[in-house]
Amino acid sequence: MKTGSAVFRGVPQEQLDWLGTEPIPARPYYDPSYFELEREAVFRRSWLQIGHVCELPERGSFIRREVEVLGASVLIVRGRDAEIRAFHNVCTHRGTELVSAESGRQSTFSCPYHRWTFGTEGALISAPDFDQFHVAKADCGLPVIALEVCAGLIFVNFAEQPQPLRAWLGDLAERLEALPLARATTFSEYVYEIEANWKLTFDNFQENYHLRFIHTRSSGAGTGPSNPFGYPVNYGFHGPHRTQTIWSNPAPPAPPPTLALAYGQATKSLRQKGVPIAEGAKDYLVLFPNLFILGSPVQNFSQMVMPISATRSRSIIRIYWVGEDDSASERFAREYLMAALRDVHAEDRNVIVAGQKGLSSGALKHIHFQTQEVLCRHLYKTVDAMVVAYRAEIRGAEVAA
Amino acid sequence: MTALLPPGFASLEPFASDWAGESAAMRAGIRDHAGGEELKAFYDAVQPLVGTALASLDARPLAEQDEREVRLMRLLLTFAHVAMAVEVQREDEQVHARLRRHLSILHAPADARPRRREVGGR
Repeated sequence: MKTGSAVFRGVPQEQLDWLGTEPIPARPYYDPSYFELEREAVFRRSWLQIGHVCELPERGSFIRREVEVLGASVLIVRGRDAEIRAFHNVCTHRGTELVSAESGRQSTFSCPYHRWTFGTEGALISAPDFDQFHVAKADCGLPVIALEVCAGLIFVNFAEQPQPLRAWLGDLAERLEALPLARATTFSEYVYEIEANWKLTFDNFQENYHLRFIHTRSSGAGTGPSNPFGYPVNYGFHGPHRTQTIWSNPAPPAPPPTLALAYGQATKSLRQKGVPIAEGAKDYLVLFPNLFILGSPVQNFSQMVMPISATRSRSIIRIYWVGEDDSASERFAREYLMAALRDVHAEDRNVIVAGQKGLSSGALKHIHFQTQEVLCRHLYKTVDAMVVAYRAEIRGAEVAA
Repeated sequence: MTALLPPGFASLEPFASDWAGESAAMRAGIRDHAGGEELKAFYDAVQPLVGTALASLDARPLAEQDEREVRLMRLLLTFAHVAMAVEVQREDEQVHARLRRHLSILHAPADARPRRREVGGR
Protein backbone atom coordinates (compact mmCIF):
# COMPACT_ATOMS: atom_id res chain seq x y z
CA MET A 1 0.00 0.00 0.00
CA LYS A 2 1.33 3.43 -0.89
CA THR A 3 1.81 5.92 1.92
CA GLY A 4 -0.39 8.35 0.03
CA SER A 5 -3.47 6.20 0.49
CA ALA A 6 -2.87 5.41 4.18
CA VAL A 7 -5.75 6.71 6.26
CA PHE A 8 -4.84 9.91 8.02
CA ARG A 9 -5.85 10.08 11.66
CA GLY A 10 -6.55 13.54 12.97
CA VAL A 11 -5.82 14.62 16.52
CA PRO A 12 -8.29 12.64 18.73
CA GLN A 13 -10.89 14.49 20.78
CA GLU A 14 -9.58 12.97 24.06
CA GLN A 15 -6.47 15.12 23.77
CA LEU A 16 -8.66 18.21 23.48
CA ASP A 17 -11.36 17.43 26.03
CA TRP A 18 -9.92 20.00 28.43
CA LEU A 19 -11.27 22.73 26.15
CA GLY A 20 -14.82 21.34 26.33
CA THR A 21 -17.21 20.41 23.56
CA GLU A 22 -20.14 22.68 24.37
CA PRO A 23 -21.70 25.04 21.82
CA ILE A 24 -20.26 28.57 21.80
CA PRO A 25 -22.47 31.66 22.29
CA ALA A 26 -23.01 33.55 19.02
CA ARG A 27 -23.37 37.00 20.57
CA PRO A 28 -19.63 37.69 21.11
CA TYR A 29 -19.24 37.53 17.32
CA TYR A 30 -21.51 40.53 16.64
CA ASP A 31 -22.54 42.29 19.84
CA PRO A 32 -21.14 45.85 20.13
CA SER A 33 -21.24 45.74 23.95
CA TYR A 34 -19.04 42.60 23.98
CA PHE A 35 -16.69 44.32 21.55
CA GLU A 36 -16.42 47.31 23.94
CA LEU A 37 -15.24 44.92 26.66
CA GLU A 38 -12.75 43.25 24.29
CA ARG A 39 -11.11 46.59 23.58
CA GLU A 40 -10.04 46.91 27.21
CA ALA A 41 -9.87 43.28 28.31
CA VAL A 42 -7.95 41.97 25.30
CA PHE A 43 -6.42 44.65 23.12
CA ARG A 44 -5.24 47.12 25.73
CA ARG A 45 -3.51 44.30 27.64
CA SER A 46 -1.87 42.26 24.89
CA TRP A 47 1.25 42.69 22.83
CA LEU A 48 0.06 43.66 19.32
CA GLN A 49 2.23 43.19 16.26
CA ILE A 50 2.39 46.45 14.37
CA GLY A 51 5.29 46.31 11.95
CA HIS A 52 8.67 44.86 11.04
CA VAL A 53 12.13 46.28 11.63
CA CYS A 54 12.84 46.25 7.88
CA GLU A 55 10.39 49.14 7.56
CA LEU A 56 12.71 51.30 9.66
CA PRO A 57 16.08 50.83 7.98
CA GLU A 58 17.71 54.13 9.00
CA ARG A 59 17.86 56.63 11.83
CA GLY A 60 14.80 58.85 11.42
CA SER A 61 12.79 56.21 9.53
CA PHE A 62 9.21 56.19 10.75
CA ILE A 63 5.88 54.50 10.18
CA ARG A 64 2.44 55.59 11.33
CA ARG A 65 -0.08 52.86 12.20
CA GLU A 66 -3.73 53.22 13.13
CA VAL A 67 -4.92 50.93 15.94
CA GLU A 68 -8.64 51.49 15.54
CA VAL A 69 -9.64 49.07 18.28
CA LEU A 70 -8.01 51.41 20.80
CA GLY A 71 -8.76 54.62 18.89
CA ALA A 72 -5.03 55.24 18.70
CA SER A 73 -2.63 56.46 16.07
CA VAL A 74 0.90 55.20 16.68
CA LEU A 75 4.13 56.76 15.48
CA ILE A 76 7.04 54.32 15.37
CA VAL A 77 10.45 55.87 14.87
CA ARG A 78 14.05 54.75 14.71
CA GLY A 79 15.78 57.40 16.79
CA ARG A 80 19.17 59.06 16.29
CA ASP A 81 20.47 56.49 18.76
CA ALA A 82 19.18 53.69 16.40
CA GLU A 83 16.60 52.52 18.99
CA ILE A 84 13.05 51.92 17.77
CA ARG A 85 10.33 53.57 19.89
CA ALA A 86 6.56 53.95 19.73
CA PHE A 87 4.69 57.12 20.63
CA HIS A 88 1.11 58.21 20.55
CA ASN A 89 0.90 60.29 17.38
CA VAL A 90 -0.35 63.35 19.24
CA CYS A 91 1.19 66.74 19.82
CA THR A 92 1.50 67.30 23.58
CA HIS A 93 0.34 70.92 23.21
CA ARG A 94 -3.34 70.30 22.46
CA GLY A 95 -3.55 66.80 21.06
CA THR A 96 -3.37 67.42 17.33
CA GLU A 97 -2.33 64.49 15.12
CA LEU A 98 1.39 65.04 14.69
CA VAL A 99 2.24 63.02 11.57
CA SER A 100 -0.14 62.35 8.69
CA ALA A 101 2.30 60.57 6.33
CA GLU A 102 2.15 56.79 6.48
CA SER A 103 5.91 56.43 6.49
CA GLY A 104 9.12 58.20 5.60
CA ARG A 105 12.34 59.52 7.06
CA GLN A 106 12.64 62.75 9.04
CA SER A 107 14.96 64.22 11.63
CA THR A 108 12.14 66.06 13.44
CA PHE A 109 8.34 66.01 13.57
CA SER A 110 6.49 69.32 13.58
CA CYS A 111 2.87 69.75 14.54
CA PRO A 112 0.99 71.50 11.74
CA TYR A 113 -1.10 73.53 14.21
CA HIS A 114 1.42 75.62 16.21
CA ARG A 115 4.74 74.13 15.07
CA TRP A 116 5.73 72.31 18.23
CA THR A 117 8.68 70.25 17.04
CA PHE A 118 9.75 66.87 18.40
CA GLY A 119 12.95 64.87 17.90
CA THR A 120 13.14 61.25 16.76
CA GLU A 121 13.47 60.16 20.38
CA GLY A 122 10.23 61.89 21.36
CA ALA A 123 11.54 64.98 23.18
CA LEU A 124 10.03 68.41 22.55
CA ILE A 125 12.86 70.32 20.86
CA SER A 126 11.24 73.64 20.15
CA ALA A 127 7.92 75.45 20.36
CA PRO A 128 7.24 79.02 19.21
CA ASP A 129 7.00 81.57 22.02
CA PHE A 130 7.36 78.81 24.60
CA ASP A 131 7.99 81.33 27.41
CA GLN A 132 4.27 82.04 27.42
CA PHE A 133 3.58 78.47 28.59
CA HIS A 134 3.46 77.32 32.20
CA VAL A 135 5.22 73.99 31.74
CA ALA A 136 8.79 72.73 31.14
CA LYS A 137 9.81 71.35 27.74
CA ALA A 138 11.13 68.25 29.50
CA ASP A 139 7.57 67.47 30.57
CA CYS A 140 6.21 67.74 27.02
CA GLY A 141 7.77 64.70 25.34
CA LEU A 142 5.56 62.51 23.14
CA PRO A 143 3.58 59.92 25.17
CA VAL A 144 5.45 56.62 24.99
CA ILE A 145 3.87 53.25 24.18
CA ALA A 146 5.73 50.08 25.23
CA LEU A 147 7.54 48.56 22.23
CA GLU A 148 9.59 45.39 21.91
CA VAL A 149 10.95 43.39 19.01
CA CYS A 150 11.09 39.63 18.51
CA ALA A 151 12.20 37.94 15.30
CA GLY A 152 12.16 41.28 13.49
CA LEU A 153 8.48 41.75 14.35
CA ILE A 154 7.65 44.98 16.16
CA PHE A 155 5.08 44.66 18.95
CA VAL A 156 3.44 47.41 21.01
CA ASN A 157 1.52 47.16 24.25
CA PHE A 158 -0.81 49.91 25.52
CA ALA A 159 -0.80 48.72 29.13
CA GLU A 160 0.94 50.92 31.69
CA GLN A 161 3.40 48.22 32.80
CA PRO A 162 3.13 45.22 30.49
CA GLN A 163 4.97 41.98 31.11
CA PRO A 164 8.07 41.66 28.89
CA LEU A 165 7.31 40.51 25.32
CA ARG A 166 9.44 37.37 25.72
CA ALA A 167 7.48 36.30 28.80
CA TRP A 168 4.27 36.89 26.83
CA LEU A 169 5.48 34.82 23.86
CA GLY A 170 6.95 32.04 26.00
CA ASP A 171 8.51 29.19 24.02
CA LEU A 172 7.15 30.60 20.75
CA ALA A 173 9.79 33.35 20.77
CA GLU A 174 12.51 30.90 19.83
CA ARG A 175 10.40 29.34 17.09
CA LEU A 176 9.70 32.78 15.64
CA GLU A 177 13.39 33.57 15.58
CA ALA A 178 14.10 30.50 13.46
CA LEU A 179 11.71 31.69 10.72
CA PRO A 180 12.83 33.56 7.60
CA LEU A 181 10.84 36.62 8.70
CA ALA A 182 13.38 37.14 11.48
CA ARG A 183 15.90 37.92 8.71
CA ALA A 184 13.49 39.61 6.30
CA THR A 185 14.57 42.79 4.56
CA THR A 186 11.44 43.34 2.48
CA PHE A 187 7.93 41.99 2.00
CA SER A 188 4.89 41.86 -0.23
CA GLU A 189 1.68 43.17 1.31
CA TYR A 190 -2.00 43.24 0.50
CA VAL A 191 -4.85 44.42 2.62
CA TYR A 192 -8.60 44.05 2.74
CA GLU A 193 -11.39 45.46 4.84
CA ILE A 194 -14.20 43.14 5.71
CA GLU A 195 -17.66 43.51 7.19
CA ALA A 196 -16.99 40.89 9.84
CA ASN A 197 -16.06 40.50 13.48
CA TRP A 198 -12.33 40.03 14.09
CA LYS A 199 -12.76 36.60 15.70
CA LEU A 200 -14.98 35.34 12.92
CA THR A 201 -12.45 36.58 10.38
CA PHE A 202 -9.54 35.07 12.26
CA ASP A 203 -11.30 31.73 12.78
CA ASN A 204 -11.44 31.14 9.05
CA PHE A 205 -7.67 30.78 9.13
CA GLN A 206 -7.67 28.51 12.16
CA GLU A 207 -9.51 25.58 10.60
CA ASN A 208 -9.01 23.54 7.45
CA TYR A 209 -12.52 22.07 7.38
CA HIS A 210 -13.52 24.64 4.70
CA LEU A 211 -10.57 24.13 2.34
CA ARG A 212 -12.09 21.63 -0.05
CA PHE A 213 -15.33 23.60 -0.38
CA ILE A 214 -14.07 27.18 -0.63
CA HIS A 215 -10.71 26.67 -2.31
CA THR A 216 -11.83 24.14 -4.89
CA ARG A 217 -9.20 25.21 -7.39
CA SER A 218 -6.56 26.88 -5.26
CA SER A 219 -6.21 24.46 -2.33
CA GLY A 220 -3.68 22.35 -4.26
CA ALA A 221 -1.81 19.92 -2.04
CA GLY A 222 -3.65 21.05 1.12
CA THR A 223 -6.09 18.15 0.94
CA GLY A 224 -5.81 14.60 -0.44
CA PRO A 225 -7.64 11.27 -0.57
CA SER A 226 -6.21 10.11 2.77
CA ASN A 227 -7.05 13.43 4.48
CA PRO A 228 -9.92 14.92 2.47
CA PHE A 229 -10.33 17.90 4.80
CA GLY A 230 -6.62 18.58 5.14
CA TYR A 231 -6.77 18.42 8.95
CA PRO A 232 -3.52 19.24 10.74
CA VAL A 233 -1.10 16.72 12.17
CA ASN A 234 -1.09 18.19 15.67
CA TYR A 235 -2.13 21.13 17.83
CA GLY A 236 -0.19 22.96 20.49
CA PHE A 237 -1.42 25.35 23.19
CA HIS A 238 0.90 27.91 24.71
CA GLY A 239 -0.99 30.10 27.17
CA PRO A 240 -3.15 32.40 25.04
CA HIS A 241 -1.27 31.39 21.88
CA ARG A 242 -1.74 28.22 19.83
CA THR A 243 -0.05 26.28 17.05
CA GLN A 244 -0.71 23.55 14.55
CA THR A 245 1.41 21.55 12.17
CA ILE A 246 0.00 21.52 8.65
CA TRP A 247 -0.41 18.15 7.00
CA SER A 248 1.65 17.35 3.90
CA ASN A 249 0.00 15.38 1.17
CA PRO A 250 2.45 12.51 0.53
CA ALA A 251 1.18 12.18 -3.05
CA PRO A 252 0.28 15.73 -4.08
CA PRO A 253 -1.30 16.46 -7.46
CA ALA A 254 1.07 17.83 -10.11
CA PRO A 255 1.38 21.59 -9.48
CA PRO A 256 0.40 24.06 -12.23
CA PRO A 257 3.50 24.70 -14.42
CA THR A 258 4.07 28.30 -13.33
CA LEU A 259 3.72 27.38 -9.66
CA ALA A 260 6.36 24.69 -10.16
CA LEU A 261 8.64 27.25 -11.85
CA ALA A 262 8.16 29.91 -9.16
CA TYR A 263 8.48 27.46 -6.29
CA GLY A 264 11.66 25.99 -7.76
CA GLN A 265 13.19 29.42 -8.22
CA ALA A 266 12.20 30.60 -4.74
CA THR A 267 13.74 27.46 -3.23
CA LYS A 268 16.95 28.01 -5.18
CA SER A 269 17.13 31.63 -3.95
CA LEU A 270 16.67 30.54 -0.33
CA ARG A 271 19.52 28.04 -0.69
CA GLN A 272 21.76 30.73 -2.16
CA LYS A 273 20.93 32.97 0.79
CA GLY A 274 21.54 30.20 3.30
CA VAL A 275 17.95 30.12 4.60
CA PRO A 276 17.01 26.67 5.95
CA ILE A 277 14.35 25.13 3.69
CA ALA A 278 12.77 22.46 5.86
CA GLU A 279 12.83 23.95 9.35
CA GLY A 280 9.39 24.92 10.60
CA ALA A 281 8.00 24.66 7.09
CA LYS A 282 4.66 23.27 8.25
CA ASP A 283 4.40 25.30 11.44
CA TYR A 284 1.45 27.54 11.90
CA LEU A 285 1.83 29.88 14.86
CA VAL A 286 -0.96 32.00 16.29
CA LEU A 287 0.12 34.86 18.50
CA PHE A 288 -2.77 36.03 20.63
CA PRO A 289 -4.84 37.99 19.95
CA ASN A 290 -4.79 38.66 16.21
CA LEU A 291 -1.70 37.47 14.32
CA PHE A 292 -0.81 34.20 12.69
CA ILE A 293 2.28 33.14 10.82
CA LEU A 294 2.79 30.27 8.43
CA GLY A 295 6.35 29.03 8.69
CA SER A 296 6.81 27.94 5.06
CA PRO A 297 10.19 29.41 4.05
CA VAL A 298 9.13 29.75 0.42
CA GLN A 299 6.02 31.72 1.36
CA ASN A 300 6.64 32.83 4.94
CA PHE A 301 3.58 34.94 5.58
CA SER A 302 1.71 36.59 8.38
CA GLN A 303 -1.86 37.75 8.64
CA MET A 304 -2.99 40.31 11.17
CA VAL A 305 -6.66 41.02 11.74
CA MET A 306 -7.26 44.51 13.13
CA PRO A 307 -10.70 44.99 14.69
CA ILE A 308 -12.45 48.22 13.66
CA SER A 309 -15.90 47.63 15.15
CA ALA A 310 -17.92 44.64 16.35
CA THR A 311 -18.62 43.74 12.72
CA ARG A 312 -15.79 45.33 10.76
CA SER A 313 -12.10 44.41 10.53
CA ARG A 314 -9.02 44.87 8.40
CA SER A 315 -6.75 42.02 7.32
CA ILE A 316 -3.12 42.71 6.52
CA ILE A 317 -1.23 39.93 4.80
CA ARG A 318 2.52 40.08 4.42
CA ILE A 319 4.88 37.66 2.76
CA TYR A 320 8.35 38.25 4.14
CA TRP A 321 11.44 37.95 1.95
CA VAL A 322 15.08 37.59 2.91
CA GLY A 323 17.21 39.99 0.86
CA GLU A 324 16.24 42.23 -2.02
CA ASP A 325 15.37 40.72 -5.41
CA ASP A 326 18.74 39.42 -6.61
CA SER A 327 17.68 38.32 -10.06
CA ALA A 328 14.83 38.47 -12.56
CA SER A 329 13.92 34.89 -11.65
CA GLU A 330 13.71 35.68 -7.96
CA ARG A 331 11.59 38.76 -8.66
CA PHE A 332 9.28 36.67 -10.83
CA ALA A 333 8.94 33.97 -8.16
CA ARG A 334 8.04 36.50 -5.46
CA GLU A 335 5.41 38.16 -7.65
CA TYR A 336 3.85 34.79 -8.47
CA LEU A 337 3.83 33.56 -4.86
CA MET A 338 2.05 36.75 -3.77
CA ALA A 339 -0.52 36.48 -6.59
CA ALA A 340 -1.18 32.84 -5.69
CA LEU A 341 -1.74 33.55 -1.99
CA ARG A 342 -3.96 36.54 -2.79
CA ASP A 343 -6.20 34.31 -4.89
CA VAL A 344 -6.76 32.03 -1.91
CA HIS A 345 -7.50 34.91 0.48
CA ALA A 346 -9.98 36.46 -1.96
CA GLU A 347 -12.02 33.26 -1.71
CA ASP A 348 -11.97 33.37 2.10
CA ARG A 349 -13.16 36.96 2.36
CA ASN A 350 -16.44 36.32 0.60
CA VAL A 351 -17.49 33.43 2.80
CA ILE A 352 -16.55 35.21 6.04
CA VAL A 353 -18.84 38.13 5.07
CA ALA A 354 -21.66 35.64 4.50
CA GLY A 355 -21.05 34.20 7.97
CA GLN A 356 -21.23 37.62 9.60
CA LYS A 357 -24.50 38.41 7.88
CA GLY A 358 -26.10 35.34 9.42
CA LEU A 359 -24.64 35.92 12.88
CA SER A 360 -25.55 39.62 12.96
CA SER A 361 -29.19 38.73 12.30
CA GLY A 362 -29.33 37.29 15.81
CA ALA A 363 -30.97 34.14 14.46
CA LEU A 364 -28.54 31.88 16.32
CA LYS A 365 -28.00 31.61 20.05
CA HIS A 366 -24.99 29.35 19.56
CA ILE A 367 -22.45 28.24 17.00
CA HIS A 368 -20.66 24.89 16.91
CA PHE A 369 -17.00 23.95 16.65
CA GLN A 370 -16.03 20.38 15.86
CA THR A 371 -12.91 18.62 17.16
CA GLN A 372 -10.80 19.90 14.26
CA GLU A 373 -11.96 23.48 14.82
CA VAL A 374 -10.38 23.44 18.25
CA LEU A 375 -8.19 26.46 17.58
CA CYS A 376 -11.34 28.55 17.06
CA ARG A 377 -12.66 27.22 20.37
CA HIS A 378 -9.39 28.10 22.07
CA LEU A 379 -9.52 31.68 20.76
CA TYR A 380 -13.08 32.18 22.01
CA LYS A 381 -12.32 30.63 25.39
CA THR A 382 -9.20 32.74 25.87
CA VAL A 383 -10.98 35.96 24.91
CA ASP A 384 -14.02 35.17 27.03
CA ALA A 385 -11.94 34.38 30.12
CA MET A 386 -10.29 37.80 29.76
CA VAL A 387 -13.65 39.52 29.25
CA VAL A 388 -15.14 37.77 32.29
CA ALA A 389 -12.13 38.75 34.43
CA TYR A 390 -12.33 42.34 33.19
CA ARG A 391 -16.07 42.53 33.97
CA ALA A 392 -15.36 41.35 37.51
CA GLU A 393 -12.57 43.91 37.78
CA ILE A 394 -14.79 46.84 36.81
CA ARG A 395 -17.60 45.60 39.06
CA GLY A 396 -15.10 45.38 41.92
CA ALA A 397 -13.92 48.91 41.19
CA GLU A 398 -17.52 50.17 41.16
CA VAL A 399 -18.26 48.50 44.50
CA ALA A 400 -15.09 49.95 46.01
CA ALA A 401 -16.10 53.39 44.78
CA MET B 1 9.17 50.72 -35.85
CA THR B 2 11.42 50.78 -32.77
CA ALA B 3 11.27 47.57 -30.77
CA LEU B 4 9.91 47.94 -27.22
CA LEU B 5 11.46 44.66 -26.07
CA PRO B 6 14.98 43.18 -26.26
CA PRO B 7 15.95 41.20 -29.39
CA GLY B 8 14.51 37.69 -29.49
CA PHE B 9 11.11 38.64 -28.12
CA ALA B 10 9.48 40.12 -31.22
CA SER B 11 6.49 37.83 -30.80
CA LEU B 12 5.63 39.64 -27.56
CA GLU B 13 5.74 43.14 -29.09
CA PRO B 14 1.93 43.32 -29.49
CA PHE B 15 1.65 43.08 -25.67
CA ALA B 16 4.57 45.34 -24.79
CA SER B 17 2.72 48.61 -24.31
CA ASP B 18 -0.46 47.44 -22.54
CA TRP B 19 0.59 44.42 -20.48
CA ALA B 20 3.79 45.64 -18.82
CA GLY B 21 2.22 46.94 -15.58
CA GLU B 22 4.47 49.25 -13.60
CA SER B 23 3.44 48.07 -10.13
CA ALA B 24 2.18 44.80 -8.70
CA ALA B 25 -1.23 46.43 -8.12
CA MET B 26 -1.36 47.54 -11.77
CA ARG B 27 -0.36 44.08 -12.97
CA ALA B 28 -3.07 42.46 -10.85
CA GLY B 29 -5.48 45.03 -12.33
CA ILE B 30 -4.49 44.09 -15.89
CA ARG B 31 -5.43 40.49 -15.08
CA ASP B 32 -8.70 41.56 -13.42
CA HIS B 33 -9.85 43.66 -16.35
CA ALA B 34 -8.90 41.35 -19.21
CA GLY B 35 -11.45 39.05 -20.79
CA GLY B 36 -10.93 35.30 -20.95
CA GLU B 37 -9.76 35.31 -24.55
CA GLU B 38 -7.31 38.15 -23.97
CA LEU B 39 -5.84 36.34 -20.97
CA LYS B 40 -5.46 33.17 -23.01
CA ALA B 41 -3.82 34.98 -25.94
CA PHE B 42 -1.32 36.66 -23.61
CA TYR B 43 -0.64 33.41 -21.76
CA ASP B 44 -0.13 31.43 -24.97
CA ALA B 45 2.30 34.03 -26.31
CA VAL B 46 4.39 34.39 -23.14
CA GLN B 47 4.33 30.89 -21.64
CA PRO B 48 6.72 29.20 -24.13
CA LEU B 49 9.23 32.07 -23.66
CA VAL B 50 9.20 32.43 -19.86
CA GLY B 51 12.27 30.24 -19.29
CA THR B 52 14.30 31.91 -22.05
CA ALA B 53 13.25 35.40 -21.01
CA LEU B 54 14.13 34.88 -17.34
CA ALA B 55 17.47 33.32 -18.28
CA SER B 56 18.32 36.27 -20.50
CA LEU B 57 17.33 38.81 -17.82
CA ASP B 58 19.18 36.88 -15.12
CA ALA B 59 22.41 37.59 -17.00
CA ARG B 60 22.38 41.18 -15.75
CA PRO B 61 21.75 42.76 -12.32
CA LEU B 62 18.22 44.16 -12.03
CA ALA B 63 19.53 47.66 -11.31
CA GLU B 64 21.34 47.71 -14.65
CA GLN B 65 18.37 46.76 -16.83
CA ASP B 66 17.74 49.08 -19.76
CA GLU B 67 14.28 50.30 -20.70
CA ARG B 68 13.51 47.33 -22.93
CA GLU B 69 14.65 44.83 -20.33
CA VAL B 70 12.56 46.56 -17.67
CA ARG B 71 9.55 46.24 -19.97
CA LEU B 72 10.22 42.54 -20.58
CA MET B 73 10.58 42.02 -16.83
CA ARG B 74 7.23 43.69 -16.23
CA LEU B 75 5.57 41.58 -18.93
CA LEU B 76 6.83 38.48 -17.13
CA LEU B 77 5.54 39.80 -13.81
CA THR B 78 2.11 40.37 -15.37
CA PHE B 79 2.37 36.81 -16.65
CA ALA B 80 2.74 35.64 -13.02
CA HIS B 81 -0.77 37.00 -12.36
CA VAL B 82 -2.22 35.82 -15.65
CA ALA B 83 -0.89 32.29 -15.05
CA MET B 84 -3.11 32.10 -11.96
CA ALA B 85 -6.09 32.92 -14.16
CA VAL B 86 -5.31 30.45 -16.93
CA GLU B 87 -3.74 27.58 -15.00
CA VAL B 88 -5.69 27.69 -11.73
CA GLN B 89 -8.96 29.62 -11.88
CA ARG B 90 -9.75 28.71 -15.50
CA GLU B 91 -13.51 29.10 -16.17
CA ASP B 92 -14.02 30.60 -12.70
CA GLU B 93 -11.69 33.51 -13.46
CA GLN B 94 -14.32 36.17 -14.16
CA VAL B 95 -16.22 35.33 -10.95
CA HIS B 96 -12.96 35.18 -9.02
CA ALA B 97 -11.95 38.65 -10.27
CA ARG B 98 -14.94 40.09 -8.36
CA LEU B 99 -13.67 38.48 -5.14
CA ARG B 100 -10.13 39.79 -5.63
CA ARG B 101 -11.09 43.43 -6.10
CA HIS B 102 -11.33 43.90 -2.31
CA LEU B 103 -7.68 42.89 -1.79
CA SER B 104 -5.41 45.88 -2.45
CA ILE B 105 -1.74 45.22 -3.07
CA LEU B 106 0.18 47.92 -1.20
CA HIS B 107 3.75 46.69 -1.35
CA ALA B 108 5.86 44.39 -3.49
CA PRO B 109 9.63 44.17 -3.79
CA ALA B 110 9.38 44.57 -7.57
CA ASP B 111 7.73 47.98 -7.29
CA ALA B 112 10.19 50.71 -8.13
CA ARG B 113 8.49 53.09 -5.74
CA PRO B 114 6.36 51.25 -3.25
CA ARG B 115 3.00 52.99 -2.85
CA ARG B 116 3.16 53.23 0.91
CA ARG B 117 6.61 54.67 1.17
CA GLU B 118 5.89 58.33 0.46
CA VAL B 119 8.06 60.74 2.44
CA GLY B 120 5.87 63.17 4.30
CA GLY B 121 8.29 66.07 4.74
CA ARG B 122 11.72 66.99 5.95
